[in-house]
Amino acid sequence: MKKNRNVGIIGVGQSVYSSHREEVNQPEMIHEAVVEALKHAGMTIDDVDCIVHGNMELFEMIHQPDLWHTIGIGSYGKETLRITTGGTTGATLCCAADYLVSSGLHDVVLAIGFEKLQEGHTTGGITNMADPLWARQLQTGALTGMTAAQVIEEFGEERAKKAAMKYRIIMDKHAMKNPKAHRRLGLEFDQADDLMVNSPALVGELRMIHMCSQSDGACAVIFASEEKAKQFRKQPAWIKDHITVHREESFCAFGDAPVVYSHRYAAEKLFERNGIKNPRKEIDMFEMYDPSSWWGLDWLRQFLLFEGDEHLKMVENDEITIDGAFPVNPSGGVTASNPIGATAMVRVAEAALQIMGEAGEHQVKKTVNQALASGFGGTLWTVLFLLTRKVPR
Amino acid sequence: MSTAISDSFVVQGKLALPYQYFAGRTGSRFIISLRDEKKIRGLKCDKCGKIFVPPRASCETCIVDISENWVDVKNTGVVTGFTIIRYKEPHQLMEPPYILGLIKLDGADTPLAHIVKGVALSKMETGLKVKAVFAKKTTGSIMDIDHFQVLDDKPKFEMGYSYDELEIGMSASFTKTISETDVYLFAGISGDFNPMHMNEEFAKMTPFGTRIAHGALPQSLIAPVLGMKLPGLGTVIPEITVRFKRPTYFGDTITAMGEVVEKLEKKRWVRMELRWTNQKDELVAEGSCLAIPPMPFNK
Repeated sequence: MKKNRNVGIIGVGQSVYSSHREEVNQPEMIHEAVVEALKHAGMTIDDVDCIVHGNMELFEMIHQPDLWHTIGIGSYGKETLRITTGGTTGATLCCAADYLVSSGLHDVVLAIGFEKLQEGHTTGGITNMADPLWARQLQTGALTGMTAAQVIEEFGEERAKKAAMKYRIIMDKHAMKNPKAHRRLGLEFDQADDLMVNSPALVGELRMIHMCSQSDGACAVIFASEEKAKQFRKQPAWIKDHITVHREESFCAFGDAPVVYSHRYAAEKLFERNGIKNPRKEIDMFEMYDPSSWWGLDWLRQFLLFEGDEHLKMVENDEITIDGAFPVNPSGGVTASNPIGATAMVRVAEAALQIMGEAGEHQVKKTVNQALASGFGGTLWTVLFLLTRKVPR
Repeated sequence: MSTAISDSFVVQGKLALPYQYFAGRTGSRFIISLRDEKKIRGLKCDKCGKIFVPPRASCETCIVDISENWVDVKNTGVVTGFTIIRYKEPHQLMEPPYILGLIKLDGADTPLAHIVKGVALSKMETGLKVKAVFAKKTTGSIMDIDHFQVLDDKPKFEMGYSYDELEIGMSASFTKTISETDVYLFAGISGDFNPMHMNEEFAKMTPFGTRIAHGALPQSLIAPVLGMKLPGLGTVIPEITVRFKRPTYFGDTITAMGEVVEKLEKKRWVRMELRWTNQKDELVAEGSCLAIPPMPFNK
């Protein structure tokens, strides 16, 4: 990607993620994240030039929430842009902030993603996406058991189920180290067999325990030009590159064309143009938008461009744990916390914190020189971010 | 599915989008004070001094947490903007037409949207004073205030001229025809049943040759001038002197006139010259009075 100038992440703020935030309304909840991000960056709102704001359309039944949220989020008197691209919103906001700074339009941009899922009706909102003539009456929402069935078919029921459950328990162990995480269940590996049978089934082998939460929460990330970033933070997390890949809405518009994973396509392109030959070795950690443990497991294969069962082995051999060779989601990931409009931004934010070495209790032990963060959204959209410790050349 | 074009479908759809809304601690406290105490409270930013009603947990310009800084505001306020709802749709709380106003409560800096009642739609304007009318039954919502009632800000009585408004040369008058009935009623009021006013046969023997009105009857016609016109309502007359020049016969039309001739700066009183004339423009009486112009008093 051709960039006019480098952009660094210099401040990260997150509200506490929870199933119910009755004690705060939307702007009040966002205010928590904004204040924390400003404090983290060591700046005041006066240092911010522009605000990009987003969440899922229709999920809380609030029209133009960015205008209402002016109260409390710092956008009063500033340039503000609202962006909504479904589940990828949070990551797209990061792309927009990067564009706004790298282009030279602004020096400091505050990106805000939020969601209060308990206030809305996600299936109602998502159903609006479908073509009104061909699909809307048939569409059901966000759950699918397809991936579980595919993994089971390819690798056998026992191994597949065990790997998915182990992935889930690793994520929970990570979430236990993250005080902001929503679901911190305290799962142990010896509960795996029990959970595989007793967790309520949602669709096929996709069970409640595998699925992401519905969370309330907000995330705020501050992006700055190289010059400004260096003024405010000794070690910013630099944006090396990012890529956005979309698929068509219904998977069938192009006839019998083979299903292309937007994840794999995005990773191939991103690695190629950044000279990454062996992502598993060259990337130090990965914050993945993993809406369920089945998807997390399967997408590891897509993002790391594996063909065989390497992704299963990485889970089986504890390679994806916080202390492993390739830590995945030290924050606990999306199965722990999922305030959708913020979720994809949290991936970028958490990867940035890892590079800065400021993730707290869930900081990975090794130095993170290069981190990957992914966003995911409706009909398999992917946004993939590459962050670095060194200023990109 | 129907359409004006016969070969193209129009899909009629309806999606239910249920939601709930978490009012938060700040919003809830506001509603609780309405519900339990019938009190309207706001949040004050100590940095810029702004008082927010409805309350905001943080000041939008100062970006500081103000969520514990509650202050009472008045139940009265001023309409800063309004619209008249004339269309009907199922989500409305009441039958149109009705007024939706923005009300800046006394003590608050930001306006609250609510229903305004108590004024004709054609008379609705910004700047009207309103007062909250609380709902008889609580719903734990902003509708615990049923509406805002327009206060009749205009005084019920048009008060007379104040000392400062009065100018030398200002004049006013009152005219009335004196009938036999007036005279007889005045006799009843005063107890003066003197036959020169009552008995024509007796009156023929007097120098006037016929019945005349009591002197105080035309004189009293100056009262509506001074008390209701100039200076007008609120005036006190501490002194009045009259010299009678001509009798008033039954059927005469008397004009009582007063004119400001002097402003007594020290006392803030005025001196007025008084004249009574009949239909022939003959002088019936003349005199003068002191008048204490109206001072502001509790309406």
